Amino acid sequence: MDSGFNNYGGSFGGGGGGGGGFVPGEMNSPAGGKSDYNNATLRPITVKQALDAIQPYPEAPYQIDSAEAVSVTFIGQVRNISSQSTNVTYKIDDGTGEIEAKQWIDSMTADTMDTDDGGKGPGQPGKNQIELNGYARVFGKLKSFGNKRFVGAHCVRPVTNINEVHCHLLEATAVHLFFTRGPPGGGKGEGAGGALGGGLKGEGAKGDASMGGMDDFAGKGLPAMSPVARRVFSLLKTEPQSNEGLHAQLIAAKLSLPMPDVARAGDELLTAGVIFSTVDEQTWAILEF
Amino acid sequence: MSLQTPRILPAHLVAFHPSTARSSHTVRILGTVTALRGDTATITCGNNGDVTLILKPDSHLQMGKLVEIIGKVTDLDGGQGVGIRVLGSMDWGNPADCDYKIYEQVVNASHRFKTIFYDSDE
Repeated sequence: MDSGFNNYGGSFGGGGGGGGGFVPGEMNSPAGGKSDYNNATLRPITVKQALDAIQPYPEAPYQIDSAEAVSVTFIGQVRNISSQSTNVTYKIDDGTGEIEAKQWIDSMTADTMDTDDGGKGPGQPGKNQIELNGYARVFGKLKSFGNKRFVGAHCVRPVTNINEVHCHLLEATAVHLFFTRGPPGGGKGEGAGGALGGGLKGEGAKGDASMGGMDDFAGKGLPAMSPVARRVFSLLKTEPQSNEGLHAQLIAAKLSLPMPDVARAGDELLTAGVIFSTVDEQTWAILEF
Repeated sequence: MSLQTPRILPAHLVAFHPSTARSSHTVRILGTVTALRGDTATITCGNNGDVTLILKPDSHLQMGKLVEIIGKVTDLDGGQGVGIRVLGSMDWGNPADCDYKIYEQVVNASHRFKTIFYDSDE
């Protein structure tokens, strides 16, 4: 799930081209080999998204907008700090909800490290001290204990520039739109402002259809469909292939997706009439005129 | 669900007034303190107009500072329109350090793409 966003990041930085799309050979992790540790995507979210994240089955990685969100980051005000001997729990409120962030105290680093980072261990005094009712940025992983959702924090640091708060909220929106509507269309490499502005202003027509395009062609040709289907389509579009198209297994491997997801996406695309099956039912090519 | 405090601009105050059927009247707003009058104050929200605040005894606002206010939308005494009763405030220091346009975009985006920010109360 992350690779798509990485591409997005690339086009954000002013990379030209069709804003998104998949560079062949960029993703080499096989479908089976994905785990929390391979998926290093750090996703900016709001607290509400963290609370709304779903687990497809128990113990599964959390999903937000049907994209795996293993590591997340958010900014909010610290409403409570509770220091225990093994961990510090911060209650974070960003105006969209409240969630607890639990940071384990690493006794090794807390005792020995005295760098200019200030209090290395959570709760230690220093210039990076988290203050009650101050803003803080949390980096961590979504977890739950019983019915209670919390974030296992790797890092909690104070935020002193209000623009960072606002920028984060816009970033979270942009990523949400990326996953629900596909990469921004018309990518002319306008950079962050342009891409986001386009996303926001182009919203005039409500509804998820035809909003974000894969790139010029796909955006206009693709009816409303799931993000996975969009990615499969985009891969079929960009991946070098014979006129037999690509096999579903290969697509699954390239996109690091489980087969059932790819099969479902294929069904969706077949139903929409934008791809067709070639040598067998599992091999698809783009239906071009 | 925990308390949600939508970020707004002065133009949206009326929409969060208790007389409308919304469930929440608690909002967040960002502005520069331009007048202090004992138990009330005025903040200026970029080019979006002013808002009158009803302070609580322990709110320590300073002139010329950028503040983020969390408060409830209420009627002002004497029929002077709508204001905000302060529940909490956060001092962000020098207004020049904040690009108010970004905040305007945040307000815009957070209401347009509400699903990731606020529960719908309709």
